Amino acid sequence: MTQEMITLPARRWSDLGTLRQSGLWRLLGNSRIQLAIAILGPILFLTIFRSMLPLPGPLQTNLQAMTQPPSLGHLFGTDRMGRDILSRTLAGVQISMFVGFAVALLALVVGLVMGTLSGFFGGVIDRIMMAITDIFLAFPSLLLAIGLVSVLGTGMIPVVLAISLSDVPRFIRLQRSMVLSLRNRAYIDAARTVKASQVWLMTRHIIPNTIAPLLVAASIAAANAILVEAGLSFLGLGIMPPEPSLGNLIRDGQSYLEQAWWISTLPGVVILMIAIGLHFLSDGIRQVLDPRSRK
Amino acid sequence: MNFLRPIQALNASPTGQTSLLEVRDLHTHFLTDGGTVKAVNGVSFEIERGERIAIVGESGSGKSAMAMSLLRLLAYPGKVVAGQINLNGRDLNRMSERQLNHIRGREVGTIFQDPMSSLDPVMKIADQMIPPIMRHLDMNSEKARAEAIGWLDRVGIPDAGRRIDAYPFEMSGGMRQRVMIAMALSGRPKLMIADEPTTALDVTIQAQIVELLKELTSETGAGMIFITHDLGLVARFAHKVGVMYAGKLVEFGPVKDIFARPCHPYTQSLLDTIPPVDQAERRKLAQIPGFPPDMKLPLVGCAFKDRCAAAHERCFVEAPDLTLRGPGHRAACWKPEGLGEARRKDAELVPPMTHSEEDRVVVEVFNLHKHFTGRSVLPWKVPPTVRAVNGISLNIREGETLGIVGESGCGKSTVARLLLGLDPATSGDIYVDGMAQMVFQDPASSFNPKMMLADIIQEPLVVTGWGNRMERAARTRELLAQVGLDESYMSRYPNQLSGGQRQRIAIARALALKPSVVVADEPTSALDVSVRAQIINLMVDLKRQLRVSFVFISHDLLTVSYISDKIAVMYLGEVVEYGAADEVFRNPAHPYTQALIAAVPVPDPVAEEARMKKPLSGELPSPLDLPSGCAFASRCPRATDHCRAEKPLLQAYSKSREAACHYAN
Repeated sequence: MTQEMITLPARRWSDLGTLRQSGLWRLLGNSRIQLAIAILGPILFLTIFRSMLPLPGPLQTNLQAMTQPPSLGHLFGTDRMGRDILSRTLAGVQISMFVGFAVALLALVVGLVMGTLSGFFGGVIDRIMMAITDIFLAFPSLLLAIGLVSVLGTGMIPVVLAISLSDVPRFIRLQRSMVLSLRNRAYIDAARTVKASQVWLMTRHIIPNTIAPLLVAASIAAANAILVEAGLSFLGLGIMPPEPSLGNLIRDGQSYLEQAWWISTLPGVVILMIAIGLHFLSDGIRQVLDPRSRK
Repeated sequence: MNFLRPIQALNASPTGQTSLLEVRDLHTHFLTDGGTVKAVNGVSFEIERGERIAIVGESGSGKSAMAMSLLRLLAYPGKVVAGQINLNGRDLNRMSERQLNHIRGREVGTIFQDPMSSLDPVMKIADQMIPPIMRHLDMNSEKARAEAIGWLDRVGIPDAGRRIDAYPFEMSGGMRQRVMIAMALSGRPKLMIADEPTTALDVTIQAQIVELLKELTSETGAGMIFITHDLGLVARFAHKVGVMYAGKLVEFGPVKDIFARPCHPYTQSLLDTIPPVDQAERRKLAQIPGFPPDMKLPLVGCAFKDRCAAAHERCFVEAPDLTLRGPGHRAACWKPEGLGEARRKDAELVPPMTHSEEDRVVVEVFNLHKHFTGRSVLPWKVPPTVRAVNGISLNIREGETLGIVGESGCGKSTVARLLLGLDPATSGDIYVDGMAQMVFQDPASSFNPKMMLADIIQEPLVVTGWGNRMERAARTRELLAQVGLDESYMSRYPNQLSGGQRQRIAIARALALKPSVVVADEPTSALDVSVRAQIINLMVDLKRQLRVSFVFISHDLLTVSYISDKIAVMYLGEVVEYGAADEVFRNPAHPYTQALIAAVPVPDPVAEEARMKKPLSGELPSPLDLPSGCAFASRCPRATDHCRAEKPLLQAYSKSREAACHYAN
């Protein structure tokens, strides 16, 4: 070779190890993600370890301490059956978080698969898929969920299915539009010239490049699902009492809002904080992944 | 920079007036999170009335930032931190936004690279053109409209009275750029700033626009700053040239003097990277090693020292200032002759490849058609059909390079996709002995950003089940070595590479399966001149070493004729001239080839002056309804009724050439 070798100038690029680290480091260094961790971390920590806390069980009634305002003994107070609201809130958070993550996961997986197929192959598959998503997107999501729950019955699994049903079309659309723009990239053509299979193209070239925006959408969907679940439970269509979901807790207290504000308000604040935390999280992920948002 | 004084005295006009524009010690910084990028680092020059100055340099040299600084049009976070910009004796840098707005458009007009984004897509041309004219020239709307139509007519927009009410999307790129020029000139500016105004256009359109700008500025007596990276264009267009490197002018002077006697090593290297017009024997193109310096880091000594063959001790310690080298000619180098003796050292001869009739034919294309059928408006109407490729026949022998040239829309990229089997042909035969692989135009989208380079190069091997893991890694190393990269690249990601390195990786990937032919679609058009030479040299080397055939698709005729053995000139989906590269380039037979070659700017101001200055008029007709006769008849200076009625077929013109023209012989 007459050509001289081009060696990498050392100062320009860090080596691979630090690059991987810097990905995580950048995620943790982002102020929004730090904020999200500061909000969600304690809530999750308390929820996971609530059985170790010196709290009465969420269903344990105490007729000696009914409708007590927040105090050192009961940080969030008690409801009209003397149940500890902090304990019930944490149990509710557990259910809410489960619903949130189940919905996000379901929407992510189904949306990823269907959206990829629809965008990649196009044609009849795409038209049928788009017709179906259009139908579902035509209904307000809460209305759709209410309708579904009334058919499927109440409980955890129906609630998760009902909420994801309105999220899945959105994810299919999102994934499809990303696939459409990736499908004609030169690197896909390059792989096609060596007769790479469709599965190879989808799994190696398309999905790795769409997963990041989908994660952002999933964290928003999780926050939304928690709110919708609370709404359904509040309407008496979600998790059945006495199971302590956050929506149930708010409903329990709504008739006593003037006498005992803490029964509804404090679980409500927790919902708010979870929703805000998840939004910060998605915003942070987006900021880190999207180079344009960096100044 | 007080050494400017005597020079100014040299240049001062006899009437004793000040220069039109006098830039003094301009500094522009971009205050980014990663540090301060010193984009412009003390630039001084002046422009007289009616003078056209070209500013050339690689991307990142600060030429655009400099031009934008003049009118304070810098994008955030750019900021002019120091300097004087005296326009007719008034310092623009000290003006308020409000005062500057009076200058913009009225005294200084601007034309940008991308006519797509410079015009508002939802406003009619009239609505974008008339209000500024009313404001700048104090006219009522009727008069301003007449003025606007007059300008549109001047810049060669047919039927200007009607087209003024068109939207930008109803016009082609060339037409939009004409509208931009009309808008810029309608304020009767004293100075025009044009930032790569023809880069997005075809050579023929570029030639039209350049002629137009030249004519109109000399007519109105406006001065002009012309930013470009195309040295050929500079030779055709400019009175003076400024060469920028790392935010500084490294050489400045009259165009003929700079091309004949460049003094700075960077200017010398830039000129040597262009394939020469006279190609009796092919020499390797000079290439500039290394990268431009990181403008965030402090610089000690000359900015070019790391890439300069003539650098000596002093260059590492002290930065040279511009010194006088001739009348009005200044250069910033410690050596009086720049590279001097070292300049021609690299230019080793490229031994010509021997081709014989016995070499096996690796690609044979016979009567190839590709038609794209749209959807018809009404079900009983015949759907519109675009005949992108309309019956072409080609063949390529082992080790041969076929160049395909033509304006955009002539079907050359479609031919590439058909050769690679990415799209099915409508009719005709393609025979490829072995495998066809591709190198793409846009180095940015050629690679999956989530894959390591080793995986990218290996992908063809993995997909076809070639060898085991160890063998594949060994092959990857071998390929990297062939394209002149070292092993450390294997674990990098595409976003860590420069444009030239990406194109090397693209070539490595294309070579992985030892293809018989590599199709390269505009592989160098997104690259800087210095890097372009590296890639062309690499392809010439590979062609000799591996005896792999190339199909080189480009609109850059100089490059195509340098690298190719045969050239096929395409027009509207057909080959109009086909034959040995040197012959086609030196003695074109078809009027279209002649026009294309005439449109290519040659980096030699003396030769440029002597050349035919009549650019091909008009634009490519719509491929939706092709004329029944010769497709080129609508733009051909020699067209007759016979041409319009009867289609000329590709016929033998000489022993090694064919042309499709009734009057070629």
